[in-house]
This record gives sequence, C-alpha cells and structure tokens, in this order.
Amino acid sequence: MTDNSILRAENISFSYDGLHPVLKDVSFSINAGESLGVLGPNGGGKSTLMKIIAGLLKLKSGNIFFNNTLSTNFNNYPYHFFSYVPQNSELNTTLPVNVSEYMEFTSSLSQSSKNNLNNDELLNLVGMLEKKQSLISSLSGGERQRVLIARSLINSPQLILLDEPTKGLDSNGQDQLLSIIQEIQNKHKTAIMIVDHNINQIIKNCHKILCLNRSLHWHDHKEMLTKDVLENIYHCEFEHLLIHEKDLSSNQIVHDHQFCEHNHRHQDPHSILRGKK
Amino acid sequence: MAVINSLKEFIQYDFLLFALLGTIFLSITCGLISPLIIARKNAFMGSAISHSTLLGLAIALSLFSAESSLPIFLTTLSITLACTLFLSYSTYRQKLPSDSLIGIFYTATMALGIIIHSLFSKSKSDLLSFLFGNILLLTKEDVVLSFVLMFICIPIIIIPLKKWLFLTYDEEGAITSGIKAPFYHHMFFVILCLLIVTSIKLAGTVLVETMLLVPGFFALKFSKSVKQTFLFSVIFSTSLSIIGIVVSNSFGLPSGATLAFVLFFALVLSLFVKKIYNLIKR
Repeated sequence: MTDNSILRAENISFSYDGLHPVLKDVSFSINAGESLGVLGPNGGGKSTLMKIIAGLLKLKSGNIFFNNTLSTNFNNYPYHFFSYVPQNSELNTTLPVNVSEYMEFTSSLSQSSKNNLNNDELLNLVGMLEKKQSLISSLSGGERQRVLIARSLINSPQLILLDEPTKGLDSNGQDQLLSIIQEIQNKHKTAIMIVDHNINQIIKNCHKILCLNRSLHWHDHKEMLTKDVLENIYHCEFEHLLIHEKDLSSNQIVHDHQFCEHNHRHQDPHSILRGKK
Repeated sequence: MAVINSLKEFIQYDFLLFALLGTIFLSITCGLISPLIIARKNAFMGSAISHSTLLGLAIALSLFSAESSLPIFLTTLSITLACTLFLSYSTYRQKLPSDSLIGIFYTATMALGIIIHSLFSKSKSDLLSFLFGNILLLTKEDVVLSFVLMFICIPIIIIPLKKWLFLTYDEEGAITSGIKAPFYHHMFFVILCLLIVTSIKLAGTVLVETMLLVPGFFALKFSKSVKQTFLFSVIFSTSLSIIGIVVSNSFGLPSGATLAFVLFFALVLSLFVKKIYNLIKR
C-alpha cells in the first residue's frame, strides 16, 4: 500500500516486561507538512510511542514506514529523516556546555549544509541568539526547550518528534513555545508529531489527534474528536480536566468551539474507540 | 631539604625516573578522561573495573613471578577486559539501575581473586604491592606501556570529542543524530580498563580511583567552559601526581596512598580557598 504519508505506523504494540502492554495495535499516519498531537494521561504510552518512532526503543510488533519505506529496509535506522527533541529534563548538565557548543554537536555531524540555516539563524528563529554564549545549565526550562528545538532544525528534517516540549513551563511559557513550533511548521512545512499535556493548544494547532492510554487509542482528524473520547482516554470528567489544564470556565464559547464543535457526532464513544476489547 | 634530595634521586636512579615518567604519562591520560567519567556518571563502574583487576592479578601472580612485568600485565589486562566488556554490555541502556549489577559483580570478582590468590599464589606478599601501589615495581616496560596508552587514548578522546560530549550531555539527542552510542559506550570502558590496569603498579587497585575522579571533580567545580574543564583536569592531575610521587619518595611512603592523599588534600584545599574567596567577594 502506498500513500502520501511521510510517517506511517501500523499495529504497533509494545510492552517493557512482555506481560503488561503499554501500546496495543496503535496505527496512525502523518502526511508531509501535517502535525499530529498525541494526548493521553501519564503512563499512557505517549513517550514510549515517540521513542519507538525515534528508534530509541526496539519495535517489537508492528511496522513503521518512512516515506512508504519500511524502517527495517534501511541499512541503518533512518535518523536522517527526522529530528527528535527529548524532554529537557533528560539533559545531563554536569558539563559546562554553552548554547553555541550544543548546537555544534549536531551541526558538526551534518554531511551537507545546502539549503540549511546556520546555527545563528536557527537560534534567532527561536529567539535565543543573544544567549548563544550562555551555559545551558543557566537557562530557564523554556529557554532550554527553545535551544532543543533550534538544534532539531539543523539538518532541515522532514519530521520533528517533540516529547512534551512544554513540560515544567507555566501557562504563558507553554503558549509561547507552542507558537514558536507552529511558526516553524508554517514557515518550513515540516511535519510535526508532538506529545503534550496542553490539550487546548494541541487540539487548536494540530491537524490530527492521537489519543492514547494503555488499553485504548483513538486517531483521526480533530474534527472527529469528541468530549467522550477524551473522557474515556483520560478516565476523568472532561470539564475537570479542562479547568486543570487551563481555566476556561469563563469562556464557554472557546470551550464549545474546541471540543464540541458543529460537526460533533453524538455517537457512543465506545464505537469510535479503536482497540478496545 | 629532603624534597630537594629526593628530586636529585629521580635523575640518579633509573627506577625513580621510570616512576616519574610513568606518573606523568598516566596522569595526563587520567586527567583527560576524568571529567567524562564524572559527567557520564561512571565513577562506580571505574571502581568495579579497578577492583576486578584483583581477579586478573591473582591469576597472573599464580602463573608468573611479580617481576615478570609484561606477562602479568597481559594476563591481568585480558581478564579485566573480559569482566569490563561483560559489565559494559550488561549495563547499556538497561531498565534496572546499573550500579546494582556493578556492585554485585565487583565484589564477586574480588572474592574469587582473593580465593585464587590464597590457593595458588607463589608469594603471598606480592598482592599487597598491587593493592596499594609500589613505585619500586615500575620497570622500563611499564613506562613504555603507559606512554603507548597515552598515545592511544588521547586521539580516541580528542578527535571525536564533540561526539563524546554530545553523548554525555544529551544521549538520546546524540543517538537520534546518528552517533553509534553502543560503540562509544563500550569503547569508553575499554579505555578505562586499559588505564586502570596500566596504573595499578603506581596507584594500586584500591587507590587508582582517586587519580580517575579527583581531577575531573576539581575541574568541573572550577571551570566555566568545556575547554577549561579538560585543561584544568589535565593540569591538576599531572602537577599533583608529580608532587605526590616526589613526596612519596622523600618520606618513604607508599606511592598509591601518597598520590591519593595529595590529590584529595589539594581538592579540599582548593574548595576551601574558593569558599573563602566567595565570602570575601560578597
């Protein structure tokens, strides 16, 4: 089967211990320039899925296709095809590395600089050029994340995988960072797969949504997403979750628009939740 | 006066000159690798490798006399290398904390080493010299070995330094940028093993960790950039090791213990001075 997808995952299942599945038959696809937001509760397998796609965890069951080529058909895992941005808490800041040096770690590996922006231009894109001589350990969480995003753009990847980029940021910082990501996507037409807990922003900005918990998953264009789907995935009352994520109680219109839009299908959520036994 | 006489002795006697040269070569290599050991959180792994040399030494001393430098070195190296590679493969990106396996493994190899030594060793006292270091044991071959080791290690660390740093700083970012992380992981421990086995006559299996950890700790405390870190570490390691070996000879003290104490004392002193400086600056 061929299509226009640049990343296609088919029936991915994964378990760390062989007994308790973290992912069960998850399938999804991303087309060029599209964005896929991955939502779900903690421990729902979002980061695990991201690490499998990034080649950091070994795929045990299912298939991953990059540009319709099976990942196992490449001689080496096709790292050149995408860029992975880990959570900034995974950086080991024992060594006094500055922003510029960190960028060079990746740019020194790149084979060709044709059509690529240089490190300064990339730092400028995320508003970090002035801090290029600063130690990464001295930066705030949001600033570190911006540097990680700038690094991910070095080889002009077709796809960027972002694992909880707004983790640990306040509401303002989250919005700023997601705006930068949105701007990069619009400007460079890069496909993005993003795991995040900022439900409002993800639903607003991403073309497709994948909802995951350990036993259920739902994937489609966001127009199909209903409140019931999210409630089933998160195992909690949706409004409570909304207030928890971002207080929109005073803005009922926004709430209605984002989650119960005009195309809302009053279906039984269980009929649209795939993978439920 | 004792120190000046001691310095003259280093030129007069061959074995002391060997000790001095061996110390310089090994301390440069230790200084270069030390910040990476600390930043990569491999201090305990270094300790495990150094303690597992005891098994290699026990077997080597059962087969050869303590004076047979090269056969002892090669036997110890082969056995320690096998232990190191086992630990390296078993601890790479595992879910269980690697320190538990390292802890179990190194006490077991040490225990086996002591049993083998008790049963088969030709001279019971030889092992003590290797446990705590003895510069009198250093021969011309040892100096050549430490020079060759330095000659091998420096380019292995310096040429792909950005890759080492990337892997240390952001392992997942480095892997997904195409760096062969398992190769560098195992390579690092092979270098560490070579360095430890070459250093045991000078510093001893128990005390060699000081040479591997103190310079990097000092450098990471005081440096403000990556370049400074490696420079400070090499300068600290080399200068203090030379002082240590001279003090050891001047006062007839065991070389490993003297080196360890001099490095530790210099570290504590520098931290104290830094604290005072910061208080005055405030």
